[in-house]
Formats: sequence, C-alpha cells, structure tokens
Amino acid sequence: MGDLKLQNITIDYDHTPVVHDFSLTVENGQMASLLGPSGAGKTTVLKAVAGLLQPRSGEIFIDGRLANGLPPEKRNAVMVFQKNLLFPFMNVEQNIGFGLRMQGRSNAEVHRRIEKILELTELTGLNRRKVHELSGGQQQRVSLARALVLQPAILLLDEPLSSLDATLRQQMRELIQDIQAQTRITTLFVTHDQAEALMMSQRVCLLLNGRIRQVGNPQELFYRPADPEVARFFGGCNFFEGQLKNGVYYSPFATVAAPELADNGQRLNATIRPEDILISVKGTQGLPGRVQKASFEGGTTRIWVQCQNRVFVVLAPRTDLCAGQNVRLHLPKDKIRIFPPGN
Amino acid sequence: MTTDTANARGNARTRPNPGLLVIGRLVVPALAVVTLLFGGGLVLGLVQSLGYLPATGMQMFTLRHFAGVLSDPDFFYSLGLTFYIAATSTATAALISVAMALVLTSLARRQRVVHFIFQIPLTVPHLVIAVALVFMMAPTGLLSRAALKLGMINSSASFPLLINDSWAIGTLTAYVWKEVPFITLMILSVLRRTGMELLEVGKTLKASRRQRFFHITLPTIFPSLAAACLIVFAYTFGAFEVPFLLGQTYPMTLPVWAYKSYSDVDLMARPEGIAIGLIIAAVIIAAVVAAQLLTKAARHRGLVL
Repeated sequence: MGDLKLQNITIDYDHTPVVHDFSLTVENGQMASLLGPSGAGKTTVLKAVAGLLQPRSGEIFIDGRLANGLPPEKRNAVMVFQKNLLFPFMNVEQNIGFGLRMQGRSNAEVHRRIEKILELTELTGLNRRKVHELSGGQQQRVSLARALVLQPAILLLDEPLSSLDATLRQQMRELIQDIQAQTRITTLFVTHDQAEALMMSQRVCLLLNGRIRQVGNPQELFYRPADPEVARFFGGCNFFEGQLKNGVYYSPFATVAAPELADNGQRLNATIRPEDILISVKGTQGLPGRVQKASFEGGTTRIWVQCQNRVFVVLAPRTDLCAGQNVRLHLPKDKIRIFPPGN
Repeated sequence: MTTDTANARGNARTRPNPGLLVIGRLVVPALAVVTLLFGGGLVLGLVQSLGYLPATGMQMFTLRHFAGVLSDPDFFYSLGLTFYIAATSTATAALISVAMALVLTSLARRQRVVHFIFQIPLTVPHLVIAVALVFMMAPTGLLSRAALKLGMINSSASFPLLINDSWAIGTLTAYVWKEVPFITLMILSVLRRTGMELLEVGKTLKASRRQRFFHITLPTIFPSLAAACLIVFAYTFGAFEVPFLLGQTYPMTLPVWAYKSYSDVDLMARPEGIAIGLIIAAVIIAAVVAAQLLTKAARHRGLVL
C-alpha cells in the first residue's frame, strides 16, 4: 500500500500533447476513478504511472518515491488492462504466479499466495484450467488476481469491466470493491462509465480532452459540477441563464439566494438535474408547461416538457403522462446549481 | 427417457449430417485432382524405385535399389551432410529471424518500408541467390577482389574457400539469406498481433527484459516459429539446386545424389535416384512427427510452449 501523486504531468504522442498539466493525488488505501470519454487520455495517464510511457514533463511519485525514469518492472505499481491479456500458453495458476516467479519467490510462497488470491477472487478449483476454457468474467478475475498477488503499492485498473455483459459487470464491480476494502490497495480505476466511477470510488477525477475538469468525491461531481461541460458529462441537460442582483440569482424559472457569488449584475448559467425536477398535473403552483414527449425507461420515465422558451427534461417515476398534457414543474432551490462566473 | 427423446437420438445416430455430405461433395473434384497428380506421381515413383521400369527390361519388384542405397558407404556421409546443412541453416535462420522480428516490432513507424524490403528475397528464386553468391563469394568473386584491393589478401588464391567448400558455407549462406525473411514474417505477424501487448503485461508484472524474452516472447512465437522452421527444414533437406551449385562434389547431399542418379544417361540408375528421393521424404516425415511428439511431450511435462 502507498499513495500516488502526479504533479503537472504532460504526455505526448508523436509530439502532440494528449494529456496536459495533469495533477492528482490518491491517498493511501483509497480507490479513485479516472473518468472520461474515449480518447480523453485516461489510459495514457495510467500507462505513465505504470512506466509504459514517459511523460514529457511533470513528476510521478509512487509511495513517496519519484518514479520518473524507473522502468515498469522497478515500479511498485501493477496494471490490469482493458483486455484480459492472459498468457494463452499458461494455465490459471501459471498466469497468476507469473509475477511472483519473475521475482524469484520460492515455490512454497508462490503456491501459498496463489491459493490465497484464488480464494479472494472466487477462482478456487480452477488452478489447472486453460485460460481459453474460462468465461469472460473468470478470465478478467484471473487478470485481476495476477496483479493482486504481487501486493503492489498501486493497482491500476484500465477499464477492466468494459468487455463484460451487464450482469457480470455488476458482479465484478462488487468483487473489486470487496477486494479493495479487504486489501486496502491504493487503486486508480479508469472508466468511461459515470455510474461505475461514482459507485466504485471515493474520489473521482474527470478528464476531458486531456485536461482535468474536476476532482472531488462522487457527490461533488454529480451535484456540484464545476462547469456545464462536467454537468453534461454526468447527464445534466437542463441549463438556463439568470442574473445576479444583491446576492440573489434571478431567472425566469427560479429565484435563488446566492450570497457566495459576487459581481452584481453578471449573467450566470445554472442547471438542475432531471431527477430533481418535480412534476405534477394538478395545482397552480410551479411553472406551467406542456409535455412534448415521454419515454419509458424502466424504473423511471423521461419526460420532455416545454416551459416558456425552454425544454426541460424530467426523470419521474410516473408513467401516465403523454404528449400534449399540461403539467406544472417545480425546481427546488436547493437543487439548482449556479455556475461561477466564466462558465 | 421419453419415447420422443429416444427416437430423436436414434434418428440422429442413423441420419448422416447433411452439412458434411455437401462439404464432401464439394471437396471431391479438388481431392481427385490432388490425388491423381501427387498420389499418382508418388505411386509411379514408388513403383520405379521398386525396380519396375519396363523400358529398361526391369519388370520384377525388388527392394535391392533401396538396399543398394542404404548399404552404400557414402549414404551416411551424404545423409549427415544433408542433415547438417538443413539443421544448421534452419537454426541460424531461426536465430536471426527472432532477432530481426524483435527489431522490426520496435521500428513500428518505419515498418512498412522495412517490411517491403524484407519481402524482396522471398520473391527471388533459390537458384538466383545461388548464382549471386557464386559471383560474390567465389575465389574470383566480388568479395575476393575487394579484399585484394584493400590489401587484406595477397592474391585471390589466398581468399578462403567459401563456395564448394567442405563446411558448405556457400550453401548455408544461400539458405539463410532466403529463409530469414520467410521465418521473420511468420513470427512478426504473431508478435504484432498479441506479442507486444503481452510484453507490456510482463513489464508491469515485474519481468526483466531477459525474462520477458524467455517467458513471453518465445512461448508466444513458438508455434509459428516451429511451423516455419519445419517448413524450412523440410525444404532445405529435400532441395538440390543450391547444394548442386554451391556444394562440394564429394560427398554430395542426398538430393544432389538423387538428382544425378535420376538424370543419369544410364536409365538403370533411375530407380536408385527415386529410392533416394523416397528416403528423403521418409526422413522429412519422420522429422515432422518427431518434432510434434517432442513438443507434445514437453507440454505434457509442463514446459510452457
């Protein structure tokens, strides 16, 4: 176990910077997610930590030691790749014990640690199985076990669940969480799935176009996005504009006290999450609107409501609304996020 | 078991798979041509090697031509020389190819050009390479003249014998030159497909450069390397043109002996030539089977291949 510190990392591919001035600290025993769309530079950061890529500038500290220039085999970090990348010419046991054997550990120790990790990853009894005889989930668990058995200071997970189906994915998420809770290995988890990042980690770092946009705990990123782009990445779709006057934010849709914001008279953007908007068909309170369309999504229904010159998207449990119906929207003040000036 | 299930199983057992029938019917024409051309030639050769050659008056089946070849005191010299050339050229080409493939995978960006340059020798016939080597390596060849010009030797007579020599250096050079691109391209595709990713895994799993080579690269390329080496070995063991041009006159390799006997003006020598050809084929088949058995045994003993 140890902590991971990245300071002002810039990484180039073919002389083109793909990650700019990236800084992140993952505390000892913490599980952090590096979240972003495809091509944002997430894997590049992970490879730089693993030592598979050298940053152009910046410093990487693993467990307090400067790791720049150290080859991957000398770093106390192990990476689990998006594809399971098991050695096809080895069985499960040989795959898991690979790293230990490369370190010259005794057979007894290798055997003992393999047995322990097989139990932890729920692979007991599959020691002699050829890797092509395993299911996708089992293969990914072997890949995870192969990394965990080395007891690294830092575990780097590069979208290890992306090739699994929904059910297996959920099972693996729980397994990874359980293992991390048991082993307390500092983990940096790369994913493009917001729900996965929010669910799995204590700290989330959102990377867009090679730059950090926001770092914080899952609730912060979800409920207090730093800017509209972050809000959009987390499914935010209701944006409106208002004006700040004497510590109060005025917009056609809501009036909210905002004493923390200065700059009187400035026009600011605000957002509210679709699930935070309340919708009703009765009463005279709230903003009048008309349902444009409704789409049933299982647990909730997504409803598009025309309200003045804007369309609000509402996620509600009710399924009885249809296009053309008159409704009332209520935007709770405490759920409205006003973006600071410049956003 | 219900009656329906039993009937279904009974029908499945008695009814032939329609898919296999269709495939069988489609394959028959190609199979017939192959059987006729290759099988026919093989049978004809076998018949002649057994002494049935009516044009020469030999009409009795006999094993005396095989016995004659096998009891010839030169046979084992020739067999040894042929094996030496095939094994040495294959092993040398394999070693160079592995090194080349590793270098080429690290030259990712310039790979297309290098790939193209590498493919050139593949298109050049063995005979052309043999002739080129004569011009280069003979005592009066380019290398000798260059050495003379540079003052490295006093006369072309003092240039070491590299053609028609007892160590078969010319023959080996020709084979290595020709086979390195073939083996390299065979293993390069495997290395590029999965090998590089597995090497990255190896790095993060704390394997050193040497360990990565022996524990990841070699097992990854082994099936392709083994297949390519078997092809090269089989070819070099059975080919006559390169040792015929670049090899010494005595002892001859088995294919040169077979060719000379077969093309001898004396038709009576032809069965002997064919017998040698069949012995060569038998040795190659035995080598392939032995290689398969060895690999299987090694895997059974837990060796990672």
